[in-house]
Amino acid sequence: MSQWFLKGIKKGIKTEKNFDDKFKPDYPSRLEGKSGYNCPVNAIKNGEWDENKCIYCGKCDLKPTKDEKIYKINDKLPKMFKKSLYIYPLDSGTCGACNAEFNSIFYPQYDANRFNIFLSNTPRHADALLLMGVYTEKMHDVMIDALDAMPDPKIIIGFGSCALSGGILGSSINEKFNVEIAGCPPDPYTIISAILKYKGGVK
Amino acid sequence: MQSFNKKTGRYIGRYKNYDVYSNEIVRISEENKEDINKKLPGEITFNYGPSAGGLEESVNFNIITPGERINSVRVDSSFKRRNIKILNDSVDSALLKVERINGYHSASNSICFLLAVENALNIENGESNNKRIIEIELERIRSNLHVIKCLAESAGFSIPEKQLSYLIEDVSRIISTVFKHRYFFGANYINDVNGNFNNLNESILKIKNEFMVIYQDLLTSKIFMDRLQENGTVRDMNSTGPAARASGYNYDARLDSSSLYYESYKIFTGSSGDVFSRFMVRSDEVFSSIELIENTEIKENESKNKYDLNKSGTGYARIESPQGDLFYHVDIKDGRINDILMVSPSYLNIKLFEKAMPGNIFTDFFFVWESFGIWISEKEVNFI
Ligand code: SF4
Ligand code: SF4
Repeated sequence: MSQWFLKGIKKGIKTEKNFDDKFKPDYPSRLEGKSGYNCPVNAIKNGEWDENKCIYCGKCDLKPTKDEKIYKINDKLPKMFKKSLYIYPLDSGTCGACNAEFNSIFYPQYDANRFNIFLSNTPRHADALLLMGVYTEKMHDVMIDALDAMPDPKIIIGFGSCALSGGILGSSINEKFNVEIAGCPPDPYTIISAILKYKGGVK
Repeated sequence: MQSFNKKTGRYIGRYKNYDVYSNEIVRISEENKEDINKKLPGEITFNYGPSAGGLEESVNFNIITPGERINSVRVDSSFKRRNIKILNDSVDSALLKVERINGYHSASNSICFLLAVENALNIENGESNNKRIIEIELERIRSNLHVIKCLAESAGFSIPEKQLSYLIEDVSRIISTVFKHRYFFGANYINDVNGNFNNLNESILKIKNEFMVIYQDLLTSKIFMDRLQENGTVRDMNSTGPAARASGYNYDARLDSSSLYYESYKIFTGSSGDVFSRFMVRSDEVFSSIELIENTEIKENESKNKYDLNKSGTGYARIESPQGDLFYHVDIKDGRINDILMVSPSYLNIKLFEKAMPGNIFTDFFFVWESFGIWISEKEVNFI
């Protein structure tokens, strides 16, 4: 195993101190401007754009700004989680892209662990439940069980347009979230920015 | 391609009460009931899932074991079954949903669906052939890297796991730069692909060089090889994609389907049908996909046609998605989806996993599961 250790060291530090902005995607990002387009998910109503409903399909005239701050923080994080936050992701009915994007925040470029954001392997040890995907009958009960298994206080994070509004494929699995992270799927810049904001960190 | 009662060509998989072969769709009377394995004295049933650490998607495993050795596994993928309302949608609206059937293989799904629509409505689509190939091969590179990364993770090799994760993210960034979205959403149209392909070859060359080093390092690791060899062995003529090729079947829709034309492509096959063989085939395919991208000429579409989709017809397409045959059949009436049938490679890959598992021990479970590259999202779709 030591040869791997040396090989790792040789590569140097790969984690980006300041995330490389040039790789921020156009979609999803904050959209701006005006559009009379008949949005397939009714994300444009009376000229107002709803970031949670938007599936970032790029069909309307709203322009992507590459601003990753498409999230809502609905309350204050309990003090005890400021130092470390353990997240248990739960897939209710995703296409797989939300799962992949959430996992990517632990990749070397972003390394969410350095911000004391961790993955929990069980809801019993989790501070936050991250819900993704549309409502599905059988996973609804699994979600209730996971919430029951979590110790108090618990946080629910809504992740992606399917979880927040049903997106284009169905309906939302839950109605209330402490944090709402928009995108289809949310990208790593948005995810880390949202969680750090909630934790009271900077980014 | 219609529903007759003969079975011609190789078996691709099942959607509801249709079995799909490479040359035929066969209506079956009812979904065969799975034989529930009976427990023998001393055996216990162990349930893993549907939501647990280590599982990327929701899926439940019913494992029968006398202790260490696994005697049988049944995969219950129904937990996250999505009912997708697509019938009577316009083609444009249906495409937004098809893109989101398997987000990790969104390019393959979108392109295969569009090829079936173009086939149904007699739309000439040769101009976009090469751009579509590049898109699918980029998707294949990321998908194969993801499987190899999961194998390294299952073996507890965290340094190559992180190195591969780094490469996966680099590929996602390349995709995002070319297509404005990290999962190709919004990139595909009837006979067109929206992307800026400048500098693609340069960035892809970096991936090739970096993967070569990781691949060679893995091959020199006796411990890694030992964990993979003679694990999860399966050889079955009803198989698909890299899993089929790893056990010596030269199945590949890039060569045996006319839906998307590949000028030349050399199939890599293994013979042992174990996790190691699947690892080798996938690694070879990372390099061959890069080579295909480098050698595929991009031509801008000359015709900027607005296509009249307000027509009727029936059509199909089959392409080689990263994990095997992907098949779409559409029936369009006056521009609306009247009927749709889709078979994804995860159908056969789940069956292969169930066959590969008996005789292995618990510590091998994740290797074998990950080595098939299964996506539950594409398996559990109910079009309504
Ligand atoms: S990007 Fe698509 S989903 Fe979002 S507002 Fe525009 S049309 Fe609607
Ligand atoms: S929000 Fe978008 S990316 Fe996430 S599961 Fe739904 S369709 Fe997939």
